[in-house]
This record gives sequence, structure tokens and C-alpha cells, in this order.
Amino acid sequence: MKFLIVFKQSLQAIFANKGRSFLTTLGIIIGIGSVIALISLGAGVKVSISDQISTLGTNNITIMPGAGFNQGASDSDGSMGGHPGGGSGFNQASSTLTVKDLKSLSNKSQYPQIKQVSGQISGSSIFKTPSGDRRYNILGTSESYMHIQNLSLSQGTFYKQTDIDNMARVVVLGSQLASDLYGNKDPLGEPLRIEGTSYRIIGVLTRAEESSFNNPNNQAYVPYSAAAESFKSQNFNSITVQAENEEVVAEVKKEIKKALLANHKISDEKLADFNISSSADLLSAVSSITNMLTSLLAGIAAISLMVGGIGIMNIMLVSVTERTREIGLRKAVGAKTIDILAQFIIEAVMLTMIGGVMGIGLGYLIGKIAEPMIGFTPIVTGNSVALAVGVSSFIGLLFGVYPAAKASRLNPIDALRYE
Amino acid sequence: MSNVIELQGISKIYKTGYEDIIALKDIDLTIRNGEFVAIMGASGSGKSTLMHILGLLDKPSSGKYILDHKDVSRLSASNQAVIRNQQIGFVFQQFNLLPRTSVLNNVLLPTIYGKTRDNLARATQIIEEVGLSDRIKHKSNQLSGGQIQRVAIARALIMEPAVILADEPTGNLDSKRSQEIMELFRKINKKGKTIILITHEESVAHYADRIIRLRDGEIILPEELSA
Repeated sequence: MKFLIVFKQSLQAIFANKGRSFLTTLGIIIGIGSVIALISLGAGVKVSISDQISTLGTNNITIMPGAGFNQGASDSDGSMGGHPGGGSGFNQASSTLTVKDLKSLSNKSQYPQIKQVSGQISGSSIFKTPSGDRRYNILGTSESYMHIQNLSLSQGTFYKQTDIDNMARVVVLGSQLASDLYGNKDPLGEPLRIEGTSYRIIGVLTRAEESSFNNPNNQAYVPYSAAAESFKSQNFNSITVQAENEEVVAEVKKEIKKALLANHKISDEKLADFNISSSADLLSAVSSITNMLTSLLAGIAAISLMVGGIGIMNIMLVSVTERTREIGLRKAVGAKTIDILAQFIIEAVMLTMIGGVMGIGLGYLIGKIAEPMIGFTPIVTGNSVALAVGVSSFIGLLFGVYPAAKASRLNPIDALRYE
Repeated sequence: MSNVIELQGISKIYKTGYEDIIALKDIDLTIRNGEFVAIMGASGSGKSTLMHILGLLDKPSSGKYILDHKDVSRLSASNQAVIRNQQIGFVFQQFNLLPRTSVLNNVLLPTIYGKTRDNLARATQIIEEVGLSDRIKHKSNQLSGGQIQRVAIARALIMEPAVILADEPTGNLDSKRSQEIMELFRKINKKGKTIILITHEESVAHYADRIIRLRDGEIILPEELSA
């Protein structure tokens, strides 16, 4: 049998009944369309979230005080008598991250894979402004924070280690904060009263990209020693460690754990009073959730594919009955059972594949229409297209076999006489 | 001249619930290469059953069928299909052509299922022989009854079979068209092709060299009609 001719014949048979073929494949078109649309939306969400997480820096490791997620259960078992730190603000009260921790991690000769380290004490304070008192976020940190977060100065300088050591009252403003407080005026050298203490403005940052996680433009940066005094807390809310590159992140995390356990004199790592996480951890957690949701939704959409497949089978059965005499004729001129079987299966597969291709177009269109409403770009991946074509051909095969077998088993004499 | 078809003691019995119906009873028949034979009989005489057995669309209950020096009485369905494709050209009374398909593609239909070369050239030549060169691209539903039969004859010739088997080929045609179609069969026969014609019309049967009459599943009166 000549496959090219059979393909051509199948196409002719499909296009001979354009209206019916289209209605038949509509189920497949909608099924594939919704699967593609949902998968591409899922992929879009994932990329959009990953982008946001990447703005945190993929080499960055964050150390937070407190127990890790996996230790929550044992915690609630052990401390029925209420929280030890209780009442006066979780962050300050329970933080265990000390300047000693920061210094030991900054030891370049001991940790060559650590590029830089910064400690943060964050909180909010009352600023005295020309238009009255306002509350703004304030971050006590060091210059390395600016480098880790990819921030840059538009004016002036950032404070140095000596300013930290001397507990200098100097402040660097985020771009939004600077323009809120001073408008177009040059703020450099101006005094600024924060919580009753006078600070001198020594720098302004350039505008940086905001993410859902923080807004670097709308806060003030002071030496952590000054912030520690102001907030009456010696310890950091978090320490950020930047690894030399993405590959060593896991290794650096282990080193940090060891160093901090030693500093805090904790021998059992299950009792660690800090928690180390990287952007990669967050990314993989988010990925697994979006993947799960995407497959769940695509699975639901796939049900409509099944329904579409049954539609194909139904119309193929009608087609076999209608074309009984054609089948008889083909058998009379030498078509074998397998030839007829192949012909009808190919026809069903082509019908569903055409539906699949149109469904991909529909899914793409749905994504494009949805884009302005959902605020991120759906991504049609090669994988989802291959999957759609594969699934639709498989459905054609699955639901085409029965009608084709029925056609191929027809006795040529009966088929030729069929009225 | 050699024998293209030999039937020896062919019987066909249909088993139904109550009784066995004997459609063909111990038929002996020899058809020589290049003959034009008509098989005649009323309905129920067994001529359709005989045609189905000759055309390898059905198997005899007993007896031996030798086609082109090969015993084909006990072939499997797929081997039967091969013989039908290579050795037998069918012309039916109706539903001869694939709907919405061009004359050329209808003529080429058997070549899909068999190995042949230069199909297109041969098809073009045969379509010219049956007088349809100007209709080669026409769809089957744009043709008249006579033209449809011409296409069917062209298709029957494309594989260069040993035998042309025509089952009431003029059954749906008026007498003028019938005459034209029979003349065409004559012409093809003159070129050496063996033709077996199944009909119930005397006027049609008389185009043949020999008429075989069937009644109740038996051959009754073989007579020579050398025209």
C-alpha cells in the first residue's frame, strides 16, 4: 500500500465533509485548546514568579533567626508554657544573629566561597519632615548590603565600616524617600531627625526595581550599630550571605550552618536557633506548587479531550456505515483487511491531529487574549505543543481503532450490495 | 489456446438454521484465454454465487478452481485480495466508482493495493482507449451512467488482469448506452482480453462468443455462438 496516496485520500475524505469534520474535531479543538491555554498560563505564572525571586539574587543566602520550617512540630510539643520571648515583638526579642556571626562569616580566608556578607536590623521610625512627622522603614546595615542587592548611589557616598564602628549618625536615602522628603532639592549634607536623633544625609540611591518582597526605594539606610541602639537590639533580623556563584550555594549553606552552630554553642543541629534559606529553595518550592496546579488544571481539561475522542469515534462509525459500498469496492479491487484498517485509522488520526493543531492555535489565542487581564505573559512551550499533538493523535488512534476494525471486517459481497 | 479458468465440481452450500441451501451444484466449467463468455440465468439461478466464486469474493464449499494455472480454491482472505488485485478486473452494475474522486484516481484505485510501474502513463492510455480523455480530471459525480461504466472498465484493465468479470454492466443503462458499452467490451476482447459477463438479458449476452446458462445452480445448456 502506498502511504502517500492513503494520506491524500484521507485528507480528501476529511475535506469532502468540511462542516461535519469541523464539528467532529471541535471537541478535540476545545480540549487541546484548553490544555494548551492552561499549561501556558501555568508556565507564565512560574516564569513571572521566578523573575521576582531572581530579583532577590540567585547567589544570595538568607539567615533568619528562629526555628526552621521542619522544626515546627517539635517546637509546639516542647513549649506548651507559652513563648519565651513573648510580647515585645518577635524579631527583636528572639533574634539570635549576632555581630559575631557576621564577623566570622566575613572571614575571607576561612570562607573563600563567600563573596560578601551583610547583616540587617530593620524596623520603622518617625522621621521629622517639613510636612510633619512621618513613619518610614529604616534598615541598619553595612555597605556590602548595597552590593549584594545590586543597589547603586546616585549622589554622595555610602557609609563605611569606620562609620559603623564609630556608630556615626549618617543616613543614605532610597530614591523615593529622598524625593518625598526633599523634592528637587539636594539633600546631601542636610540634617534629618529620626526618632529624636539627628542624622546627616551622606548619600541617595538610584531608583531600583521593586519586587513583591521589598521596596528598596522607600527606606533609609543607617549603620547597623546606630540602628541597634535606636531599636535597642544588638542582634540582626537577618544576615544575607552572597556566595561566589550559584554552584557553591549549597556548600556555603553547610559552612554557614557549621559556623553559626559553633558560635551559638549548639551541638545538635535540630536545635538550631536560626534558619538558612536561599532563593533557589524558594524557587523550587514555588515551582513545585505551580507545576502541581498546572497539571491539575490540565488534567481537568484533558477530560474534554476524552469527550472529543468519543465524538470522533461516533462520527467514524457513521462514516464507515455511509461508506460501506466504498469499502466493498476497495476490497473487490484488492484491498486487504489491513489496508482498510490502516485507511480508517489514518483518517481518524489525521482528523484528531488537525483538531490538535487548531486547538494549539486556540490555546495560544486564549493566552494572548488573557495576557492583558492577568498581567503576565503565558508561555506556549514546545513541550506542550508536542504533548498536544501526541495526545490528539493517540486519541485518534484509540477511538479510531474500533470503527476501522468494523470497516475492515466487512465482507466485500455484503458491502457491495449494501443499500 | 490455454485455459484461463477451470472449475472442477464446484459446489456452494449456504447453511442456514433449518435447511442447507444449495446455490451451486457440482459445476464444471472451462474458459479459454481470450474468450468472451456470458453467464445467463434468472435470479436465484446461482449466477451471482458463481460470479462471486470466479471473482474470489467467496469460497466454494467443495471443488477446485484453477485460475491462470494456479489452484485458488483454498486461499486465505488476504491472498484472495492479492489475486483479485492482480488477476481479476471487476465491472459492477452500480457503485463502481469512488464518490467525489476524479476519473484518473478512480482508474488508479487498484494500483494503491498492488505493485505496478508506470501507472500514470498506463492509466492515461487506457482512459483514452475507453474514450474519456477529455474527462480525465472530472469527478465521478459529474459523469453520465455510460461514462461511469467506461471508467469502471478502464479501472478493470489497469492491472492487466487475466480476466474481466462484468456483473450486469449495462443493468442501469438505456439500450443505446448498453450497446456502446457492449461494443467497448467487444473491442477489448478483440485485443485478447478474456471477458466473463454475467447478465439476464439475451440482447446483451449475444455479444459474447459463448453463453453458459444456469438454472437452480446447474449449467443447463452450453451452446456455441461463434459470431
